[in-house]
Amino acid sequence: MSTRYFGARVTRNEDPALLTGRGLFVDDVRLRGVAHAAVLRSPHANARLLSIDVRQARALRGVLAVYVHADLGTLGDPLPKLIPHPALVHHKTQSALAKDRVRYVGEPVAFVVAESRYIAEDACDRIAVEYDPLPAVASLEAAVGPDAPRVHDDVEGNVCAHYTQRVGDVDAAFARAPHRFRERFVIDRGAASPMETRGVAASWDAGAARLEVWDSTQAPIPIRNGLAQLLGLPEQHVRVVAPDVGGGFGPKVMMFYPEEILVPFAAMRLGRPVKWIEDRREHFVATNQEREQIHDAEIAVDGDGRILGVRTVFLHDAGAYIPYGLIVPIVASTTLPGPYRIPNYHCEFRAVFTNKTMVSPYRGAGRPQGVFVMERLLDRAARELGVDRTEIRRRNLIQPHEFPYDVGLIYQDNAPLRYDSGDYPRCLDRALELIDYAGWPARQRAARAEGRALGCGVACYVEGTGIGPYEGARVTVEPSGQVFVATGVGTQGQGHLTAFAQIAADALGVSPRRVTVHTGDTGMFGWGTGTFASRGATVAGNAVALAAAAVREKTRLVAATLLEAPPEEIELGDGDVFVRGVPARAVTLGEVARAANPLRFAMPREWEGPGLEAIRYFAPPQGAFSNGVHACVVEVDAETGALTVLRYVVVHDCGRVINPSILDGQIRGGVAQGLGGAFYEKLAYDDQAQPLSTTFMDYLLPTAAEVPPVEIGHVETPSPLNPLGIKGAGEAGVIPVIAVIAQAVEDALDPLRLHITEAPLSPNRLRQLIVEARRSP
Amino acid sequence: MKLEGTQTLPATVETVWKSINDPETLRRCTPGLKELSETGPDAYAATLTVGIAAVKGTYKGTLTLSEKQPTTHLKIILEGTGGPGFMKGEGIVDLEPQGEGTLVKWTGDVQVGGLMAGVGQRMLGGVGKMLIGQFFKCLEQHLGTDA
Repeated sequence: MSTRYFGARVTRNEDPALLTGRGLFVDDVRLRGVAHAAVLRSPHANARLLSIDVRQARALRGVLAVYVHADLGTLGDPLPKLIPHPALVHHKTQSALAKDRVRYVGEPVAFVVAESRYIAEDACDRIAVEYDPLPAVASLEAAVGPDAPRVHDDVEGNVCAHYTQRVGDVDAAFARAPHRFRERFVIDRGAASPMETRGVAASWDAGAARLEVWDSTQAPIPIRNGLAQLLGLPEQHVRVVAPDVGGGFGPKVMMFYPEEILVPFAAMRLGRPVKWIEDRREHFVATNQEREQIHDAEIAVDGDGRILGVRTVFLHDAGAYIPYGLIVPIVASTTLPGPYRIPNYHCEFRAVFTNKTMVSPYRGAGRPQGVFVMERLLDRAARELGVDRTEIRRRNLIQPHEFPYDVGLIYQDNAPLRYDSGDYPRCLDRALELIDYAGWPARQRAARAEGRALGCGVACYVEGTGIGPYEGARVTVEPSGQVFVATGVGTQGQGHLTAFAQIAADALGVSPRRVTVHTGDTGMFGWGTGTFASRGATVAGNAVALAAAAVREKTRLVAATLLEAPPEEIELGDGDVFVRGVPARAVTLGEVARAANPLRFAMPREWEGPGLEAIRYFAPPQGAFSNGVHACVVEVDAETGALTVLRYVVVHDCGRVINPSILDGQIRGGVAQGLGGAFYEKLAYDDQAQPLSTTFMDYLLPTAAEVPPVEIGHVETPSPLNPLGIKGAGEAGVIPVIAVIAQAVEDALDPLRLHITEAPLSPNRLRQLIVEARRSP
Repeated sequence: MKLEGTQTLPATVETVWKSINDPETLRRCTPGLKELSETGPDAYAATLTVGIAAVKGTYKGTLTLSEKQPTTHLKIILEGTGGPGFMKGEGIVDLEPQGEGTLVKWTGDVQVGGLMAGVGQRMLGGVGKMLIGQFFKCLEQHLGTDA
């Protein structure tokens, strides 16, 4: 196979439209006679819903409908349970509209449809709801404390799952270990904050009994399938389109959010298209969040710092319901071991309900928490033993000859956690070289002599990517010579329209510009699961490769007749199909496509059907494991708590790289998001679980001023698990950032012996820690 | 959110007591009060307009006076809900003679929810103190003219 485009820095096919304002996001979809919806949400974190009076709202001019729970029939039942798990004994999901109880601020109570959004929001103000407020569970520790109020009356102690995994004999390892270090780590909540909030528009054709839905989802096909089931329609009569989506980062893979049911329901009831676009304040309460966990963790090491055992017992905040199941805490527990040999490991968590917005994966999905715990434990051990922090890591790394490496746990895809490939020492070496770790002590001393507090951080991680069950692709060559690729995964900025085009272009000997990729439209391709867990390129990309290879073989077969040569002597290149060694005996790819679809006469049996078209599926037996090392240099202003990141290095191995520019973008964006979670972004709640940071004035996103240039080094160890040898890269940038920043800040303030066990920090919090450290002897 | 303060008023404890128990004074001096109608002894239905930061809204609710120990102690409970969320406030007022006048000691505990908490929380303390200040200023003027 020619590899002309695979691996090249091809500019993105999607950019001309996006950069000139011609993208099509849900809010850009124009539907004739569209009505606009608004959601009335609970202002209480925990309350009984006593009564709702919608008469005044319905009477407002321009209001088309006001729906409450009782109007929904069976659509008002608790929403589907997404990912069950045997340990999840209380798999609670919310209803599209609250029935008689609200459990978080923002829970939908009524749904208004009107001629304009203005009228719909005014109507919301006229709905009189009588609540009986109950004490709210505002924090993890409060949730499991004695006499805690209950989020769900039948869930004692607010614990919905208790799950333990073990490797080796942890108790024995700790009993005989010469050194043991214990810590408590607290990681707080954050929000993904995509530029585009959520949105849904729906249009119902009563005559044809067809429903069309535009949804900013990461999983249009499961949404289509679920809607068909809930609404009693054939799947074939429901089309769900995820058009351009302005960032997903995980929370948009939820199904169902209430509005995804309510908008189609209202469109069918009213016989008019309906649109709902989430505003930013709603987004802070109505779109899932993540990260809140409290880990009690302990590491046992020998005198050289070799790991004998690790133990973590943690609380995971699920929020008010747990539709997505235990993915986040399972990913946190299974990412924690990282690139290190840990012969004895105990991870145990309780997933806990609180009266806060629901939790489901957000870029990293538990990985940042797991890596934070592991890396902080190693930092502590290194400091106590007087071993260099990079040396203690090196001594524990899994070596290149040990792959496949079985960690001994069960991963989020229910398959054994088995690393397929990698070269961890090489990644560490490369990162240390790029950050000039050898020269670091001298640079730090020089800075201190000038009165500047500079710190360096180095952290490692392994990233599970590319899990099953499957994705598919259809590759078609039209008589124009234009190539079309359709796949079920949606795209939210990952450059799929280019990466998949590059893969197909190589197989068919055309330019990626001649390849048009359709993603996220169930009308174009109806099988698939969605874009999540860094799996798009690996799973759908390989399906594209398989389908394109099949089309290539078909092209040779058809062209063999046209060119009177055996199929094995036919080659494809530059849009032409020709006989090897005789470029003059050629037809265009388009001509072969036309010949493959005859109007008369018998069709050769070996063609197995008309056209240059093939559909293929790729179903990996397990995930592929990327890895990397982040290193940074920071400067801390001890008087103000301000942090400046002076250098940031990422060395990353995701197997073979389809497009280095796209990969670099993924990593840079991830680092920016990671820095937000490390030092700026924090969702604050008061003691009655009222969210206090629901604007960008209070929830601080890092801006261009805070995000440094990111220097990137690539290491390539191809995955043996798929034909293209690729692994995922979507979460790599974000995973170890909170860990590396904590280490760098401690290093910068080394004379103070700062002890950081929490994330995120903030200038204010860092300043508090500095003041406390100065006070303590 | 907890607030507290003291205020000296130029009238006797008895006059101040009468004043803060008088619906007409409450109506005149409570900032943003649009409607106040008696629904029972010491119980009122109230409509209040309050703006905190960018969050302005109208709240309908109740105002109740309780724990009355005439001329020295009472508790005011204010509950309201509206478009921007809900508010619930409890205030305890103690009156002590101070020379010719009265020393008013008050403590308040305000809870807000919904939009007002999410957007206006940081302003809440300042706005609360300002509104209470306005109430007492009005009361002072009122007592001044009556005296």
